[in-house]
Amino acid sequence: MNELLQRKPGLRAWLLLAPSFLWLLIFFIIPLGIIVVYSFLERDLYGGVVWKWTLENYRRVFDPLYFKTFLYSLWIAFLTAFFSLLFGYPLAYYIATRPEKTRNALVLALMIPFWTNFLVRTYAWLTLLRTNTGLINVWLQEWGIIDHPLPLFGNTFAITLGLVYGWMPDMILPIYAALEQLDRSLLEAAEDLYASGWQVFRRVIWPLSLPGVIAGTMLVFIPSLGAFVTPAILGGGKRLMIGNVITNQFLGAHDWPFGSALSVLMMAVMLLATLIYFRTGGEEARRGGLG
Amino acid sequence: MPDASSAAVELRDVVKRFGDVVAVDHVSLRIAPGEFFALLGPSGSGKTTTLRMIGGFELPTEGEVLIEGEPQGYKPPYQRPVNTVFQNYALFPHMTVAQNIAFGLEMRGVPKEEIRRRVSEMLDLVRLSGYERRRPHQLSGGEQQRVALARALINRPKVLLLDEPLGALDLKLRKAMQLELKAIQEQVGITFIYVTHDQEEAITMANRIAVMNKGKVLQVGTPQEVYEQPQTFFVADFIGDTNFLPVQVMQVTAPVEVMTESGTRLTASWAEPTLRTGVKAVMAVRPERMHLYRPGSGPEGPEWNRVEGIIRQVIYKGLDIRYEVFVAGECSLHVRMPVGRSEGTFQRGEHVIVAWPRAAARVFRSES
Ligand SMILES: Nc1ncnc2c1ncn2[C@@H]1O[C@H](COP(=O)(O)OP(=O)(O)O)[C@@H](O)[C@H]1O
Ligand SMILES: [Mg+2]
Repeated sequence: MNELLQRKPGLRAWLLLAPSFLWLLIFFIIPLGIIVVYSFLERDLYGGVVWKWTLENYRRVFDPLYFKTFLYSLWIAFLTAFFSLLFGYPLAYYIATRPEKTRNALVLALMIPFWTNFLVRTYAWLTLLRTNTGLINVWLQEWGIIDHPLPLFGNTFAITLGLVYGWMPDMILPIYAALEQLDRSLLEAAEDLYASGWQVFRRVIWPLSLPGVIAGTMLVFIPSLGAFVTPAILGGGKRLMIGNVITNQFLGAHDWPFGSALSVLMMAVMLLATLIYFRTGGEEARRGGLG
Repeated sequence: MPDASSAAVELRDVVKRFGDVVAVDHVSLRIAPGEFFALLGPSGSGKTTTLRMIGGFELPTEGEVLIEGEPQGYKPPYQRPVNTVFQNYALFPHMTVAQNIAFGLEMRGVPKEEIRRRVSEMLDLVRLSGYERRRPHQLSGGEQQRVALARALINRPKVLLLDEPLGALDLKLRKAMQLELKAIQEQVGITFIYVTHDQEEAITMANRIAVMNKGKVLQVGTPQEVYEQPQTFFVADFIGDTNFLPVQVMQVTAPVEVMTESGTRLTASWAEPTLRTGVKAVMAVRPERMHLYRPGSGPEGPEWNRVEGIIRQVIYKGLDIRYEVFVAGECSLHVRMPVGRSEGTFQRGEHVIVAWPRAAARVFRSES
């Protein structure tokens, strides 16, 4: 055995990698395969499948009822990525430009929310945002600032807020990493070459932080698209995202084939988004935003 | 020295402190238009900080920086008629060579057509035509250096600041770039202020050199002046090779007289003004100013110093031969003699006379 390993170093690598491959195979590839296969089968009445091939599930996906939810999810994911970037970039920039000790403390502060379960944190938002009993509306009314409760709950605002809150660290960290590596002498060089503050940002800082922006955007966009906890809680049962529909097909309606078809479509969109974004983003980064 | 109105850059009693650290300590300098001026000193001597105060990247704690007679006050870098070639070039990695070079003109809103013309002029000047579309990481160190130079020069600054621009290059390329940089400077006629820790580089390139140590300017002069007439032990030690003989001062007025530890009387052309009779000091003599003779021969008289020694090592260097001579009870002396002198060469172990003229000897307060 030992001799064999020495003669074939490649074999050793394979043996070392085998557990990971096995893990991926059992818990990722096979379930994915099952979902794809199920999406082409018919359901039976008791939550199982009938082994008869059909495209019916995919036709139903484009039923306006579901397709609208799909578009709505895309919209929410877009809003979440957009606002995470809008608020996250300045924060990442701020952290990256602090002295080293402060920087590490601030990055640590970003992680602290993760010590509490996401579900718990989302329920905390619920107690703040709820229309009649939510703390924000209660206080604002007590202080006489508003007469009627603000629509803070059960809508796009609440869901987006919850998702931005949840995923913004994933936007901040890669941008921070890119900015932190930025060579300060490049900024001085730009300043020496007559660039204004805005031009230094537009022409040097932004293009060089693009890899971080791209990574961050994908890290926020993809989980937001598939979100189901946040819309379930903060959507107040009124606004659903595709993640809720899928959950419901598996747990409530017992229609596994249709749930699978929705999942496959969602994954296809995620893959497509990733490909397009990295392609164009990579190009932009290489050109440095220059004409 | 140029008069007040004609200084390209003037520093008046400039001090820069970072907390407790005094990076630049009461520096005054006047640099004439068109000069190739070197700031020379070991690492941490305050060269970069001095340069950055001229460029506007740091503001002096005390004192004043004037460019073409105009006090710069709090002006930011882009309002000063100077440009900088940074220590690590600081080329924009996401832009092509042409975009890098065009950057300054573009920021100032120069018309596209003119930018194109001037970029190609610059590429010619630094011999990088055809490299327009390359990116910095596709260039060698020397090429990156030339792009950095072109990117600064295209703005036609009154003064160009260069911080160890050749520091990252290997020796051979550095030598070639020294000549090229010097030629470019002469061609464009712009004042260069050039920071380096390499004394040979400063001597090769500069019209004048300011030698810095611990934030202070110790001496300003032509390469010949700082080499032949160093004013302090530090300068004598830092620039070129020097023999130092420990001595005691006998007489400080000309002709300066000193005595070695074994009692030999020696004479020097100059002694540091702060020296007093009776104190310990060092006599400095360049290796090439010392000569070897066989015992009983060689020049004598009040103008000459003579000590006896034994050859300990002989190194043939092609153009010259380097001898290490052991002087009993004193020290080792390094002597450099051109090949092909009438005495022929000396052998290891031979007894010799080391002789040097009074004019070649200077006496300094020994450091520490
Ligand atoms: N931004 C700064 N903060 C604190 N100390 C500094 C700073 N810049 C330079 N120094 C200190 O000032 C001294 C001179 O530095 P510098 O001008 O970079 O020297 P050189 O370029 O001759 O190597 C050094 O002791 C250095 O540590
Ligand atoms: Mg330096």
